[in-house]
Order: sequence, then structure tokens, then C-alpha cells
Amino acid sequence: MAPSLLHPPSQLSPAAALQLSQQAPSVLQNSPSTINSSPLAALLPSSETPDLWIKYENLLLSCLRTGDDHAAHQCLERLVARFGNENVRVMALKGLVKEADSQNNGDLEKVLKEYDQILSDNNTNIPITKRRIALLRSMGRLSDAASSLVHLLGFSPTDAEAWSELADIYLVQGMYQQAIYAMEEVLVLAPNAWNAHSSFANTPCDDQVHARLGEMQYMAATAPGAASGTYEKSMVEALKRFSRSIELCDDYLRGYYGLKLVTKKLLKDAAKPAKDSEEIDFSLPDSKTIERLNELATVKLSEIIRRNTAQERGWRGYDKLEVAAARELLAEEASAAASIER
Amino acid sequence: MAQVPVQTIHRDPQLFYWILLPITVVMVLTGVLRHYASVLLQTAPKRLDQKALREQRSLLHGMSVRGNFHALSRSSFVARREALTTAYQSGAYLKDPERRGQPPANPMSDPDGMSGMMGMMKNQMAMIIPNTLIMSWINAFFSGYVIMKLPFPLTIKFKSMLQAGVATKDMDPRWMSSISWYFLCIFGLQSVFNFLLGDNNAASQMAQQMGQMGPQAGQMFGPGQDPDKQFLAEAENLAVIEHYSVLDGVEQRLLEGINI
Repeated sequence: MAPSLLHPPSQLSPAAALQLSQQAPSVLQNSPSTINSSPLAALLPSSETPDLWIKYENLLLSCLRTGDDHAAHQCLERLVARFGNENVRVMALKGLVKEADSQNNGDLEKVLKEYDQILSDNNTNIPITKRRIALLRSMGRLSDAASSLVHLLGFSPTDAEAWSELADIYLVQGMYQQAIYAMEEVLVLAPNAWNAHSSFANTPCDDQVHARLGEMQYMAATAPGAASGTYEKSMVEALKRFSRSIELCDDYLRGYYGLKLVTKKLLKDAAKPAKDSEEIDFSLPDSKTIERLNELATVKLSEIIRRNTAQERGWRGYDKLEVAAARELLAEEASAAASIER
Repeated sequence: MAQVPVQTIHRDPQLFYWILLPITVVMVLTGVLRHYASVLLQTAPKRLDQKALREQRSLLHGMSVRGNFHALSRSSFVARREALTTAYQSGAYLKDPERRGQPPANPMSDPDGMSGMMGMMKNQMAMIIPNTLIMSWINAFFSGYVIMKLPFPLTIKFKSMLQAGVATKDMDPRWMSSISWYFLCIFGLQSVFNFLLGDNNAASQMAQQMGQMGPQAGQMFGPGQDPDKQFLAEAENLAVIEHYSVLDGVEQRLLEGINI
């Protein structure tokens, strides 16, 4: 799919972003530099369209990413000329450009102060709030970012994007239960979303919330120092989440990879204590089912690897690193099996 | 049945240039003017403060938990339900908790409600004033004679409407006077305005009247609503949910659905 200026560019690969930002001179040249917004001009057929402003915004983001600051400033100027300095979205873009222009930490601190100033005037300016959180995070102040996010979600709990960011921050900090809670919120607000997490955008189906949750559950279960009581619960839910992600999206590599990992681990500690199932949400499926799931995952993973390596039609979209990791997982198991036989 | 003799009236062809055309042009121009007047009169939507925002979004949050509970496992759903119900019942999310239980404020005294009503008033005014002016203009200058013949037959009932100002008893209702052309313009220029001003124009009053008659959507957080009652109702809705999860038996479905 060729990158288009009408979609937000945050998920593009670096090459695609570069391609977009190279369109900048032609886009800027071909559209008039000022839009006459007087009533008479609106009567003429060549008046502005919403598409144009979306284009400018996306072009601005791509240009900042590829370091074309000149074009970015031009886009920003046009947006400001049309929407004024007080528009919340324009304010956030202005902040973004300022952040990009900053040379050192001191400059960033200054931008942060400006954000605080804006927010003290208008504490419901959500784009600026989010910019401030992103800035805090990129400056490495994770706990500040997390607490600001919690505050934002306190008065705006229907913001799936913010919940997803919070889950990510908690995950980085190793607070798995909190991360899982935040991710579940994303699921509640957008139960059919494919792409909650933008950094894995080139798989056929973007990173799924279900698979992401499964990964978190697995991490929570296998993390050192995890309470033994929650181990089984987390493992079962990880299994279920991965299954669900595959159900939603056939041939989903991350889903199968996770399923393989979980079933392998469950089969390894097969001598599980028989627990009373009152407290547990889901009961563990019997070992035969787990075995079959493991088998299924193995077969599917090897199929994906084979077809991707052969560059068959429709199987090219997988991320190279993910395919390599899957191959490694299978090879590891094969060698383990071989050593046992010997 | 006796054939009714076809009435013929000789009209001055200049009537077309001096009455029909001017009325049409004036109507189109007023529509365009009205559109820009209402754009200018529009006030920006009022900024909500943080507490009002929290009140609205918390309610929406509860609704999405109620709608998508099946994505959660039982324990996480129960935990959320407990938290939400407690907060709803204690009024923790209310904009001003002190006013709980009191009857909702009179929308007239509420400044927010007032501005909404002023907006509506302005729109009404932008509609009524030009209409009155144009109608009196037409009545003053062009009343008293017929200007054209409609190409389709009409029943006698239309006589009073189409031939307003022409008191001739036996005339076919197909003959119309200038005031009837004015009415036709009011109802028939919608597509012209769509062409000139785009789809969301405020030029035609027909669309606005339709909007007023339609269901009162978007009134969820209107001035007359009592948020406390809405929260309590939502808490009740949450309480009666019988939980099931989409994860129940998902591995069986997977094994059945995919054959290796």
C-alpha cells in the first residue's frame, strides 16, 4: 500500500515516511499559500476542503520525523494562518515543532514550562495534555508521565489512546498488573480494535489488543517474584487471549508465537496442583487440548515461516524480526527434542 | 362530461422578466445571505470545565463497560462493576455533589442553557425577519394579477393558496400569482443552495424545521437532565448484567475452526 497523506503517518516505516516528506515541496507549491476564507470565495468552486488540512498536518508530522524542519515550519504557518493560535490542535502541533527544534534538555524544559502555562489557563486542553505526557516520557520521567496520565484518565476515562499509552508505560516499568488493567480498559473502549499499539504496524494485522494482553499476562506469570497464586490464572488467561487473537485474525504470527510459548510452558510443568476453581476465572483446559493447541501452533508457525521465506503471494507482510524469532523458537524446541531422544 | 373550455389569459411576456426572475433572484440571494448570517451569528461551543467533562465521560465509560463486558474476564469485570457502581451511587463523579437530590435547576437560570436557547432564537430570527420582509415586498408590489400557468392540473383547494390576492371565483387554480411563486421558491430552492453552499448550509429553513421535528438526539447531557439520576440508572444497568466472556471455550472454537 502506498503511503497516503490522508492517513496519520505515525505507523509508517522510515522509508515510507521519507517518501511522504519528499512530497513536501510539491504539495506546498501546488496548494495556495493562503486560503481566502471570506464568504465570497466560498462561492467559487476551488475553495478549501478538509482534506487539505489533514494533508498539511500529516505532512508536518512526516517532515519532522525526517528532519525537514523547513517544510514543517511552512505547514505549521499555514495551519496557524487558517485556524489561529488558539485552536487546541494547532497548539499541540506548535508544541511538537518546538520540541523538535529543541537542541538540548534545557530547551525541552522550557517547552514543558510553556505546556504547564497553557494548562493552567485551560485544564481541559487534551491535545496539550497529551503532548506534555509524551514529552515527559521522552525525557525519561516515566513516573511523572504515568501520574499525569492517571490524572488525565481521571477526568476523561473514555480515552482509549491514553489508556494504551498508560499500559505501555506500566509495562516498561514492570508493573504488570497495572498494565493489564489499563490494557483491559482499551479493550472495553474499543473491543474490535486491531491496532492499539503502533510500533508493530507492518504485520498483516496490526498488533492486536488481545495478543498484547496475552503477552502481558505471560510476562506477569513468568516474571520473577510473581505470586504463585496468580501464576496459573495468568497463564490460562494468556492462553485464552492468544487463542482469541488468532480467532480474530488467521495466520497471526504473534498470536501463534505466544500460544506456542504458553502451551510449551504449561506442558512442561504438567504436574500442576489441583486447585479449587472457585477463585479462578477460567479453568485450565485438559492436557490433551493443550497438546493439540501446541501442535497447531507449531504447524502454523512453520507454515508461516516456510511461505514467508519462499516469498509467496500474500505472505510477505510479516516483520522479518518476528519471523526470525519464530524460527528460533521452533529450532530450539527441535534441538531440545533431539537431545532428549539421544 | 362536458369539456371545460380551456381558459386562456393573455399575459404580457414582460411579466417573466420583471416579476418571476426578480423574485427568484431575491430568494436565492436571501438564502445565501441567511447562510452567512447564521455562520457569523454562531457562537463557538462552550468549553466544558474539567468536572463537567468528568461527569459526562464517566457516564460514557460506564456505558462502554456495560456494552463490552464480554471482552473481560469475570474477575476484572466484577472489579470494574464494583468500582463504578460505588462511585455512581455515592455521586463521586458529579459536577457539584452538594446539589445532589435537589430538583434540576431551571434551564432559564442556567447560563449554559441560556446560551443554547439564544442560539436557537438567533436562528429563528434569521429565518423570520427576511421572510416577513420579502413577503410584504411581494405583496406591496406584485399582488393582484396572475403571472404564469402551471404545467400540471390542480384541485380547487389550491386556489386560496396559489391565487392569493386574485379574487376571481371561476379561474382555474393552475393560474398562479406572484405570492405563490414565492412559496414555491421557499420550498424548492433547497437543491440550489446545496449546489451553491455545500451540503451543510443554513440557507433553507425547511431543513431546520425538519431538524426541530426530529427526535431530540444529543440531549443526553442537556440542561434539563439530572446527572445523578442518570448515574443511578447506569449503576442499576451494570448490576443486572449476567457476565459471560468471549474467552469462554475459545481454545475449543479455535481447534474446531482451524484444520491443520
